[in-house]
Amino acid sequence: MLSSLHLNPPLNYATLNYSSTLLPLRGCRRRTRRDGANESLVSTAHPARRYPSLSASLAPAREEEEREEALLPPHLRPESLPRHVAVIMDGNSRWAKARGVPSSAGHEAGYRTLKKMVELSCQWGIRALTVFAFSSENWTRPKMEVDFLMMLFETVLKESIGEFLREGIRICIIGDSSELPQSLQKLAKEVVDKTKNNTQIDLIVAISYSGRKEITQACQNIAQKVKDGLLEPEDITESHIEEELETNCIPEFPNPDLLIRTSGELRLSNFLLWQSAYTELFFTNTYWPDFGEADYIEALTSFQNRQRRFGQRIN
Amino acid sequence: MDLACENTWVWIPIPQKFQSPMILKLILGFCWYLLHLMVNLRHMGSSVNDLLFCYIISMGLLLKHQNLQLDKLNSLAVVVDSEEAKNTTKIKQLLCWLSSIGIKYIILYDMQGVLKQTIGTDLESLTNTSMTPCSVIDAKMATSLFHFEKMAIEIISLSDGKEGVAKAASFLYSEHMKDDSEICYSSEPDFTESDVANALKATGSAGAEPDLLLVYGPARCHLGFPAWRLRYTEIVHMGRLRSMKFAAIVKTMHDFSKKHQNYGK
Repeated sequence: MLSSLHLNPPLNYATLNYSSTLLPLRGCRRRTRRDGANESLVSTAHPARRYPSLSASLAPAREEEEREEALLPPHLRPESLPRHVAVIMDGNSRWAKARGVPSSAGHEAGYRTLKKMVELSCQWGIRALTVFAFSSENWTRPKMEVDFLMMLFETVLKESIGEFLREGIRICIIGDSSELPQSLQKLAKEVVDKTKNNTQIDLIVAISYSGRKEITQACQNIAQKVKDGLLEPEDITESHIEEELETNCIPEFPNPDLLIRTSGELRLSNFLLWQSAYTELFFTNTYWPDFGEADYIEALTSFQNRQRRFGQRIN
Repeated sequence: MDLACENTWVWIPIPQKFQSPMILKLILGFCWYLLHLMVNLRHMGSSVNDLLFCYIISMGLLLKHQNLQLDKLNSLAVVVDSEEAKNTTKIKQLLCWLSSIGIKYIILYDMQGVLKQTIGTDLESLTNTSMTPCSVIDAKMATSLFHFEKMAIEIISLSDGKEGVAKAASFLYSEHMKDDSEICYSSEPDFTESDVANALKATGSAGAEPDLLLVYGPARCHLGFPAWRLRYTEIVHMGRLRSMKFAAIVKTMHDFSKKHQNYGK
């Protein structure tokens, strides 16, 4: 199949008639929820969402405010959008190196891209976004870079907590938090507590995360449950493992439907190893700081096209 | 004058100020379709280029694709959609191709275990009398590991993946309780990744971590390939099994040989 020679098959651009500057955008986004027991989609008519804007920090958020039409690109069908998108935000350092700037500039640019992606995900009705911010292997990077990243995470959390509350973003932090600086641990816990009742979108940030460590921890938790008499050892199934994974902080959609990796690498790198069994993989050459709206639309369109061509979801 | 019955047609000239936006719309529409045409032509050109490239690779005209450097490729995994896995002719052709390229260790996977029943049975009957003795470490894998010509072929399914981890969890608990009773005090379980790896080995769900994984099927996902073994595996979607091409495999191997992994550092 020639298309396999590309990272992703070329899109049918005849259907790609979107331009934010030329064409009008579509109306209501219809929120659907999946009935896990009956494998049916229950469609709920939902009034058009309020236009969220992370940058419009001056606009007050009021529940009784009149909702505007959702800004969904015309060829993206709301019923075929992934509910949970995962992203491996790769390429910050290479982006910086290509521009002759320090890697810290790359990470800062990467943060701005993330901010934009969260905004777009909110607009388009993506229910959960999991981002791979820092892996357990990243601790071996130069100390200066690691310290900068920890400081960046702290700054971002401090500065954005107001926006999280305004925009209804629920934050979950997964990974081995014991390795993080004390101040960051405390701040992360505070942000998670303050945003736990938000419902607009779940943003899971993987910091000091390892897929294997997550599975190991799940096995440990199960062993403790057996020891406490809550479970028999012969009754342990894969469902029990799944229940103990950290991504169960969003019980409705713990497994990502679509996983995007930037910068041209074609691997998971110890990210969501268990959860990605049936996840559509989208690899792009673009470095993360350059990943924009058009790239996101391309990934979502590619997901949609694969859904349309190949019938029902594998899981 | 009966105003109710009379139809009066009045020609209202379109004011100049409304004509310009219409012309502008037409021009923008034309530009948009022109852009579409250019993008479609570009992709057609790209497809033709790929066809040509495949042909050239198949003819052996590209030297760099003739001598593949496969030092980094210790094991290759092939994930096949279970429906497509029923096409045993194609699977066998694929194995021949991979053998001709020089792959030494192949892990064949499909969710429902179709390959175990078809290819596994064929390989078992072929190699029953001449199977290379497996080492003690491989003893538990002997039922799904075959040596064929110069290749070792491991055939696995979903039961070796997530279900394997569940068995490992049960094994870990048993081992922990054994240790607890020996030490005579109750401690909290504290497992490491090595413990899980050893448990997977003990329960027969361990195996080589593939360096490269080829996915054949409509879906661009690994379909539940054992999660523990996928940590740094390069994943390439090859399209449908019925459309597989030798040149595409060669190109993928060549591209893989040029890859550099920094493992997060």
